[in-house]
Amino acid sequence: MSTDQPSSGQATETALELHDISKQFGATRALDGVHLTVRYGEVHALLGENGSGKSTLIKILAGVHEPEPGGSLTVAGRPAPLPMPAGAFHDLGLSFVHQDLGLARPLTVLENLVGGAARGEHSRWRVDWRAETVKARRLLDSYGVKIDPRTIVNELAPVGQALVAIVRAADELRDCRERTGATSTVLVLDEPTVFLPEEELEFLFDLVREVVASGSSVIFISHDLAAVRTIADRVTVLRDGKVVTTATMADVTDEQIVEFIVGPAKSRELHEHGGHVRVNRMVDRMVDGSGPPQLAVAGLRGGRLRSLDLEVARGEIVGIAGLLGSGAEDIPYLLFGARRAEAGQVSIRGRPVPIARHQPAAAVELGFSFIPADRNRDGIAREIAVDHNMMLLVLQRFHKGGRLRNRSVRLAAGARAEEFDVRPRRTDLPIGSLSGGNAQKVVLAKWLATDPDVLLLHEPTQGVDIAARAQIYRTILAAADEGMSVVWVASDFEELARTCDRVLVLNNGWQTAELLGTDITPETITASVFAGQHASAARTTSP
Amino acid sequence: MSTTTARQSLLVRRGEQLALPFAWIAMIVFFSIKAPDRFPTTNNLGSLLGTQSALFIVALAALLPAMAGDLDLSLGFAGALGAMCMAVLNTQHDWGIVPSALAAVTIGAACGFLNGFVVVKLKTEPFIMTLGTGALFNGLLLLVADSNTITGVARSLSKWTYGTRVWVIPIQFFYALAIMLVIYWVAEHTPLGVRLLFVGKSRDVARLSGINSDRIRWGSFVAAGALAGVAAVVFVGNSGSMAPTAFSPFLLPAYAAVFLGATTIHPGRFNPIGTMIAVLFLATGIQGLRILGADDFAQFMFYGITLVVAVAGSRYLRGR
Repeated sequence: MSTDQPSSGQATETALELHDISKQFGATRALDGVHLTVRYGEVHALLGENGSGKSTLIKILAGVHEPEPGGSLTVAGRPAPLPMPAGAFHDLGLSFVHQDLGLARPLTVLENLVGGAARGEHSRWRVDWRAETVKARRLLDSYGVKIDPRTIVNELAPVGQALVAIVRAADELRDCRERTGATSTVLVLDEPTVFLPEEELEFLFDLVREVVASGSSVIFISHDLAAVRTIADRVTVLRDGKVVTTATMADVTDEQIVEFIVGPAKSRELHEHGGHVRVNRMVDRMVDGSGPPQLAVAGLRGGRLRSLDLEVARGEIVGIAGLLGSGAEDIPYLLFGARRAEAGQVSIRGRPVPIARHQPAAAVELGFSFIPADRNRDGIAREIAVDHNMMLLVLQRFHKGGRLRNRSVRLAAGARAEEFDVRPRRTDLPIGSLSGGNAQKVVLAKWLATDPDVLLLHEPTQGVDIAARAQIYRTILAAADEGMSVVWVASDFEELARTCDRVLVLNNGWQTAELLGTDITPETITASVFAGQHASAARTTSP
Repeated sequence: MSTTTARQSLLVRRGEQLALPFAWIAMIVFFSIKAPDRFPTTNNLGSLLGTQSALFIVALAALLPAMAGDLDLSLGFAGALGAMCMAVLNTQHDWGIVPSALAAVTIGAACGFLNGFVVVKLKTEPFIMTLGTGALFNGLLLLVADSNTITGVARSLSKWTYGTRVWVIPIQFFYALAIMLVIYWVAEHTPLGVRLLFVGKSRDVARLSGINSDRIRWGSFVAAGALAGVAAVVFVGNSGSMAPTAFSPFLLPAYAAVFLGATTIHPGRFNPIGTMIAVLFLATGIQGLRILGADDFAQFMFYGITLVVAVAGSRYLRGR
């Protein structure tokens, strides 16, 4: 290809090299002297827990974050600028496919391919759709993707959408190689398998192999060990912002990789004996599981959840852990009637829940409360005052003599704000003016006001500062001591370890593990989450 | 430092709240100086409040779906259909004026019910759907009237609109005032009003809080249609006849009033008192311009400019 490169031999050796990359966010060292080498023509997996620094590293490559001075980046043997100027990665031969794929879903595949192309091939004034269709068809064919370019993206299965996004990125890279004469390019796939059914992953792997054959290297970021095992040549594991290992896949077992991800058992012990206990369980609670369960769930299916059996005793706090796409995040929505369930039997305090036509209004009536993850969209009405947000569910109590006693509402809200330590105490302010933590205290006060039997939580401390977090934990635990059952879905495993009496681990829609009492630590949860990938894979492939 | 900024922001907020009332007063002063013998008279006051009562009620009708986060562009035609049916029933089918008027309100409510069905039940965009149902109502109206202007509606109706006065103010203004107060009461002093606020401002939060937002939205469409029917009855009472194109032009000034009203009293919220002040502002402007000799074109320009300035102004204030 290109002949004007002095060190083309070396360039084919290394497609991309990051050297001594560090990044500090406030008190957190997100990346600490990271070194990453991607060889020409390899699939390089990047693994690590949430918060291990993977996404920070990728964002530095994409020019979203600035690394600390001192690091360097080499692409195809040539030094590249750091921090990366906005949009510069295109010309360096880098391309990214993020988890959301970045496609315009109401448009056709063709429109997405044409619209995404920032190349000067076609006229600025006129798009020749017929020629573009032919070209798109040829492009898809060349990667072995059998999709009609006239299809609306939304009508494609998730795997088809992922394929289109990858083909588009690969085409950009091919274009870059032709335009700049670069000898190698790098495609970054950021968790592309999360939403894909196991049995369709093969299509994606085939495409990745095609992309490699066409002259690119691939950085493959995933939580899915089975997928990494299938497609990757080498792996780099990050933990707490540091590279733990870089190894050839053939040289490491899955067990070793999991240990790299969560840290060796030995270091965990040292951690605890050194008085540096990371997990600080809030209380050792006694839950009386002898009576009938307060919440009983059998065969619940819907969203990504394939089947869930669950019984929660009075006063019990059950955590549910799983990676994105495992179905864990569907559970509270299904139980609350906010998402349609396909099957299952649910009862609360012995009363059956009509799950097929379940509605939030009925759920509240039956004794459910639900704190959703997306606070700003689903949790609070930002423009409305704190007192009305807090008392929305119990307004009827203040409706006396045909009139809503607004002063009583305000007084009651003021007392609750005192009790929940909402700052400032001004309940007449729009709730949107409160900090995330204080707004969440209001949301909690709102949902505890009905004295629910079952509290459903989805990421209840997202965007909440540490002080407010502790306050929220204490309040929930106190309510559980009074007999309220809690189903707690969170991706913060330390949070689950601190608060839960029992933790279920989900993978690909199935429960794969159950942890009890002192067995619950962030490390055991993480290990179960990763280990469960195999169990669930076995389950889906053998009917 | 923080107290001064707090005070400043309070000042800004107060200024925002009172901008429209002050503009209204300034306008009254202006017209009174320009036409001292014709504008500031009790006669003019009665005429001003009387002639704009139908508009006032249409604006309150438009306010209800707006409060629920919807939009009803068919209200002008829904009211006109009710008015036309009333005129036809009264003049050609020997219906009494009271049952004819009730029929108008019922037909308005039925139109609102249909809007609620297509928008809420079928989960469609209110903007385009009510534009469509509006065209349907207009077609029905032409069918009912055979495209004619219906004259000779019972004169007794006028007794209930401009024929009876409290001091100099025609009784029809008090109908509108009463409706406004009912909406105000419901919005401010009932649990339903708070729920309506959540449905309008954060529909996802409302739904996840167990509020039956579909019923509230649908109900607001029905109530809006019924109010359009009431406005139509008042309108026919004033004119004694009904032309096919007579009532529907109220839609634009009604929305101008609703949006202008959302910049005052409780800025950022569609609110009944703000709507009333906006109607009075528009009515005063139109009346004043007419007294100064302006033509019909000035009326449209005034409505149009007010609507554009009100919406752009409130967006600017909120984004600031």
